[in-house]
Amino acid sequence: MSVSEDRSWTARIRGRAVGALPPERLLPDKQPSYVASWIYIFGVLSLASLVMLIATGCILALKGPGWWHFTGVGHFFNSMHLWSVELFFFFMVIHLWGKYWMAAWRGGRARVWMTGAVTFLVAIPCALTGYVSQQNFDAQWISTQAKDAMNSVGVGAFFNLLNFGQMYSYHVLLLPVAVVGLVIAHVLLVRRHGVVPPFELREIAERPAQPPEQAQQADPAQPAGPVPPAQREPQT
Amino acid sequence: MAAVFNLNHHASYVHWHFFQMAVPNVIVIIVMLAVFVAAIFAPFPRHGGGDSSS
Repeated sequence: MSVSEDRSWTARIRGRAVGALPPERLLPDKQPSYVASWIYIFGVLSLASLVMLIATGCILALKGPGWWHFTGVGHFFNSMHLWSVELFFFFMVIHLWGKYWMAAWRGGRARVWMTGAVTFLVAIPCALTGYVSQQNFDAQWISTQAKDAMNSVGVGAFFNLLNFGQMYSYHVLLLPVAVVGLVIAHVLLVRRHGVVPPFELREIAERPAQPPEQAQQADPAQPAGPVPPAQREPQT
Repeated sequence: MAAVFNLNHHASYVHWHFFQMAVPNVIVIIVMLAVFVAAIFAPFPRHGGGDSSS
């Protein structure tokens, strides 16, 4: 690398980006053998639902409420948008359950877990602002109920759920940008740290049992019994 | 075309002490639990090209 490249901020960013995520890790053509399980597909199913959500949402935004309420094609895309969000949360919650029970924060994957958890939390108001942006009596009912909920927890001064313009802006711009940004960060972190492996159940089962008194003598600070896999996992 | 489900009536709720939830939501949660369990125990199809690992 020449001196001019060292001083160039684009070259430094490129070097750091390629160092953190080499192309073969960013777009791998092989996966670990333990990924061959149905429980590992719910992340990508959530991603597919998100793509459908954004695509149908863009079409709805282009055409407007009159189109999605009063035409057959509009009803179709409105329903596609609704069922995409239903499936998005359906798959995302199962993804969350699976990753929680396999302690997906192991092996230096705390940021992977946190970006996923925050994405879930941000997606909830993203969906809520969509329900109050429908421009029908259903939206009016939901917004009045949600307004009371916001007031009851002390944040009613910051959001007016009866304000269609404000809720629509949140729904089509601010919150989707946040969700997509978090999802991109989440996927890049997964690619950087790799997919979390399952617990090593066989190794735990075959390890000879250690008497509790010996374990206490060896290290009083450590609990007796086999070391949990989360602690044995090498840091990546 | 008629709707598969007739929605022209009040929603049904499951109510037990403090717990109250619409029947469709209860059904969705049960289906999610069933899919979760099935995803853990259902065999995953493997390609004939050999096992890959990285």
